[in-house]
Amino acid sequence: MITIDGLSVSFGAVQALRGVSMSAETGKITAVLGANGAGKTTLLRTISGLKEPATGSIRMDDRSLIHERPENIARMGVGHVPEGRGVIGEFTVEENLRLGAMMAKVPLQAGLDEQYEQFPVLGERRKQHAAKLSGGERQMLAMARAMIAKPSVLLLDEPSLGLAPLVTAQLMHTIHDLCGSNNLTVILVEQNASSALRIADHAVVLHLGRVVANDVAANVAANEDLRQYYLGMVE
Amino acid sequence: MMDPILTSRIMSDVLGGLTNGVMYGLVALSLVLVWRSTGILNFAQGAMPMFATYLGMGLLSYHLSYWPCVAISIVAGFAIGGVTERVLVRSLYGKPEINPVVVMVGFLIVLEAVASAIWSTTPRGLPSPFSPIDWQIGGKPFGLSDFTLYEIVTGVIVMVAVAALFRFTKLGLQLRAAALAPEVSRLLGVRVGRMLTLGWMLSTAVGTITTVLVASNYFTGLTPQVMDSIFAFGFIAAAVGGLDSPVGALVAGVSLGIILQFVSDYLNSNAIIIVALIFLIVSLMVRPSGLFTKSSARRV
Amino acid sequence: MVAKLKVNRAASSAGLIVLAAVAALVAAPTFRDGVAIGVALAVAIAGVATLTTPGLRATHPVVVRSALTLVVLDITLIATYFFSATTNFNLATGAAMSIVLLGLSFLTGASGQISLGNGAFMGVGAFVMAIWANHHATTPIAVTLLIAVAVGALVGLLLGLPATRLRGPYLAGMTLAFAVAFTAILSSFNSWTGGDAGLQLPTSVTPPRWLESFFGSGTSLLTTNSMWLADITIVVTGVAFFLMANLFASRTGRAMRLIRDNDVAAELVGVSLPRTRVIAFIVSSAFAALGGALWTMINNSVSPSTYSFALSITILSLVVIGGIGTIPGAIIGGIIYAYSTDAINWITNQTGLNPQGNVASQLNGIIFGGLLILTMLFAPMGISGAVHRWWRGRKDKSGRLATPSH
Repeated sequence: MITIDGLSVSFGAVQALRGVSMSAETGKITAVLGANGAGKTTLLRTISGLKEPATGSIRMDDRSLIHERPENIARMGVGHVPEGRGVIGEFTVEENLRLGAMMAKVPLQAGLDEQYEQFPVLGERRKQHAAKLSGGERQMLAMARAMIAKPSVLLLDEPSLGLAPLVTAQLMHTIHDLCGSNNLTVILVEQNASSALRIADHAVVLHLGRVVANDVAANVAANEDLRQYYLGMVE
Repeated sequence: MMDPILTSRIMSDVLGGLTNGVMYGLVALSLVLVWRSTGILNFAQGAMPMFATYLGMGLLSYHLSYWPCVAISIVAGFAIGGVTERVLVRSLYGKPEINPVVVMVGFLIVLEAVASAIWSTTPRGLPSPFSPIDWQIGGKPFGLSDFTLYEIVTGVIVMVAVAALFRFTKLGLQLRAAALAPEVSRLLGVRVGRMLTLGWMLSTAVGTITTVLVASNYFTGLTPQVMDSIFAFGFIAAAVGGLDSPVGALVAGVSLGIILQFVSDYLNSNAIIIVALIFLIVSLMVRPSGLFTKSSARRV
Repeated sequence: MVAKLKVNRAASSAGLIVLAAVAALVAAPTFRDGVAIGVALAVAIAGVATLTTPGLRATHPVVVRSALTLVVLDITLIATYFFSATTNFNLATGAAMSIVLLGLSFLTGASGQISLGNGAFMGVGAFVMAIWANHHATTPIAVTLLIAVAVGALVGLLLGLPATRLRGPYLAGMTLAFAVAFTAILSSFNSWTGGDAGLQLPTSVTPPRWLESFFGSGTSLLTTNSMWLADITIVVTGVAFFLMANLFASRTGRAMRLIRDNDVAAELVGVSLPRTRVIAFIVSSAFAALGGALWTMINNSVSPSTYSFALSITILSLVVIGGIGTIPGAIIGGIIYAYSTDAINWITNQTGLNPQGNVASQLNGIIFGGLLILTMLFAPMGISGAVHRWWRGRKDKSGRLATPSH
């Protein structure tokens, strides 16, 4: 479980987040929605320690994540699949996974087998350079690389970006499965609000760094104003 | 049939050039290690190992024998590399490109001056346990001796060890990841700062082994300037092979060594550095990104 | 009213000049000296009058720059008349060095690249000067200097073309290789360069006939002749600085600074990166060659050992310590160079080191290397940058103090 309270982050004179408070519960998917520049990516980067907040607190269960280095936060069990997926193209599929398994407690081979079972296409391409994979395959690799370390929190930044609708639907289904079967806390940042709301339990809408809605996903999906003004969902 | 005298001369040039080339390749490799991980061309890449070698091999005066001194030199190399990265280099990441160049040139001067002040510029002979006298075949020198074989074998072992470390170990995977994608690596729990320090340590240790080999040569000895020209050749090899490519650095180093041996045999020893310079100019004109760099790999 | 003020200024300046000329003619021991001093004073007064004209800096910057150059030259030339031969020699050596520093400073300040081989480019100029003079003794000195500069620029083009196309430290590495190779290159052309012994100029450079009477006709170094040599060097230095100041302010200069600060932005606004970088490198090589040629002239000889890799490093240190990319920085570096040997000897004496010992002989490297590192880490803009900041801070403070009283 992640609890955020009064979080403010700025880049020089620009304030990216202004007093954001929200929480993400264990075993649930919390979608963070909003337009470009709403502060969604900054939120994830601050949780995983890449960005130092000006004020506010972030807690994972009972531990504060503020002022920790990103590598330590990762080692506490926060998996972060960054914007653009962060797959290392020069590495093979298996090397990417081995890198992800670096801090895992489970034996490497068991971890690999488990991921290849979850994502069979990665198993078929284990010796290929990751640069050769398609967008959807890269997203799977990025998620497998995060999951192999057995995180308790998974942060996903725009996983559907650049993917075909069918692939996106499949991906959302996989995220839902992973969350349920591993009892994960998932924070899913998406511009593609309709896809995210279909699987999310809870949704937070950001606008210019502020929380404008924080409710059960179904309520957000049903709110005409939110859909129109903040999520750009026009029927 | 080829003229046997000519054959023997060519053979001897190839083997002699191979020995030098392995040294250039090692220096080039150590430059590439630092360049890939921290984006800095380390102009003190000859001077830091030189200092480590003086620290270790200086113990010869205290009745320590050759091999323990070599081991201590290498340990000193690791230490100097690590301390330099932590103290001098760390504040230079992300600064304009000339800042690290200037600082490392300054470090080069200081190290050479301090070494000259402490140990003087007189060459110090290192009692290598191998004979420097060329083997003879049919009464003709063959271009190899026990000592040059020692140099080549050690060089190859170091190269294979570095390659194995990077390819097959967990540490090597983290070192490569930290160099290629520092931010993603941190998100996966890799301690990137530690990896950068390790990269400098490793590179200085490789340099120290090279320096020990070069200075153990009966005809050279250890001086504060012992690595100056080898550094220049090593840089040329690294630039020709592509600063991003360890394999390119090694291949370019060995080729350069062999080419230059022929130059020095058939022209004169002054022509060596001039030919090397022309080699560099031409290769940068033809393949600016290096002969062994895949152009696609540069953009990522 | 402004026009009236200008007329008044011009009239009073003219009056001062006439007065100074008359006074010089009356006071000087001979008519010739009187003319010399009179002209010098007149130039100084006219120059200062121009410099202090309000608003001129904005409307006619070139006029202000020429006036400034003239005044500084004028004062320095008068000073050489009173200096000892040794001081004049040091002055000339430092002035020639400051030309080299200016060239490197321009390269680095304008393009963000660095050369570790400017000592070797100096050597190119120095040897071309000596070789040409030995083969064509009758060529006027100005022409020989220009030939040395042209060859320096050509070598710069040759090395700069491949290296400046690349981002990264390739230029630094390649110029380092050139600096290391330079001694070998010299000895490969033994018959031209005179081997280890180097070359002597066939005849020492003497003043032209019509000026001879001002300088006497001494021939040996460190006599009256050094004043003549110092004077030529200073004039050439003045011209070099004047040209560079204009280049800094020109469109090309602005384009180069844009490249240094942000090369993507520069490319977007249509600056050709490789061409601009090559030009900067050629200018820097040509300036280095000019400095080296002047050294040959001052010393009447050239020795290959002068142009070792160590000189290139000294040049880099002086530029960094003086302040990269600034004109005052090059002057400060030149002054430091002129007195560095004396300063280091003084330190040796004060600390009681054995002058022949290991430590004393390495003091130069330790001090320059150490200063290089410390400057880059703690004051990357060098002395001139630090002074500039301090000056601005003071002005800001006085400005703030002045405001409440209004």
